[in-house]
Amino acid sequence: MDKETILETVNSVFVEVLENQSIVLTRGTTAADIAEWDSLTHIQLVVAIEKKFGVRFTSREIQGWKNIGQLVDTLSTKLV
Amino acid sequence: MTRIIDTITGKIAAQDPLHGKRLLKNLAVHDARYFALAEIFFRKYEAILRQEGKDIDYAIDCYLRMVEDVQAETIEFARSGRYTSSTFEEVNQRVYGRPETMQYYMHGLILSQFLWRHHYEMFDYYSTMLPRYTGGVLDYLEVGVGHGFYLSHACDALRPEASLTAVDISETSIALSRKFAGEGRIDYRLQDIFTFEAGKKYDLIVLGEVLEHVEQPLALLLRLRELLADEGVLFFTTPANAPAIDHLYLFRNVEEIRQLAESAGFRIGSEKVLPAEDVSWEMVEQMRIAVLYGAFLTKQREKHG
Repeated sequence: MDKETILETVNSVFVEVLENQSIVLTRGTTAADIAEWDSLTHIQLVVAIEKKFGVRFTSREIQGWKNIGQLVDTLSTKLV
Repeated sequence: MTRIIDTITGKIAAQDPLHGKRLLKNLAVHDARYFALAEIFFRKYEAILRQEGKDIDYAIDCYLRMVEDVQAETIEFARSGRYTSSTFEEVNQRVYGRPETMQYYMHGLILSQFLWRHHYEMFDYYSTMLPRYTGGVLDYLEVGVGHGFYLSHACDALRPEASLTAVDISETSIALSRKFAGEGRIDYRLQDIFTFEAGKKYDLIVLGEVLEHVEQPLALLLRLRELLADEGVLFFTTPANAPAIDHLYLFRNVEEIRQLAESAGFRIGSEKVLPAEDVSWEMVEQMRIAVLYGAFLTKQREKHG
């Protein structure tokens, strides 16, 4: 799966979990850009993304993401 | 003058923006009493840190490590529906037997006392209710003193002639509590409550967030019932669905906790239920969000004599 498709799929998970249709993610998006994205919804997002892609993240990976681009890169390496 | 709580939350938010959002949301709902108490608490804590050659940045680092642990455990709990440890021995190897882990965990918990809304609100409930029960208290026992904050409050709230006993199996906890609550009339015992020889009964026993750390919480409550005077009161707190590196007994809901207290021969006098997140009760149940339960208990005489 290419990174553009991964980003689109991650976007659909954010829209569903955060119940906000207007979310448009880019590689540079951070928690500061989305009001509903906090430490509680982060857990829901991580678990929903894992389920959607059939992968499992390590704690180190989860704690290392600074923006959506880094999350997409992690997914990309897992989906090879 | 800048409030220390604002300095702390600002520094945390700079390092962990997701968690920072939650903390700032928490701060927005608190009243003047909270900010006054938080200021006293954190100034006292800063002085303790200085005695150890540390500063508030050290405590913030500890807190962020603890938050990372809690986040990892929470994700695992969301995946599996279970805590990662289920025996005392596992937790002993991961946490209690590692002084470095105990250190950051304990300092992290100290900050959580005022940074986590449910931790503060449980203290607020306890300290507001306590005067109803302290009138005749001469012998106070606290089991699992943590960082000593509740113990310190008991010292202030009880009559001058009351004696206080603090029992904990953790050296780190006892050492921190000595600094937080002082020596004075407190008898500190580095001991397991099951082998502790009291030689008397207690009028007030406090057990704050301990039941989730033991394999058999019923046995612990029964032991405390033995140590409680007939007219005595036990105040306890414990969470449901609260994954952490040292939690091993999983209460799946508040009703399980109430039933345990009743099975141990207690009657619930007053109680408080505090979700860890500011969301609807429906969300709390659906997402299995941590809930902190606290209650004042008395002995049920009709059943247990």
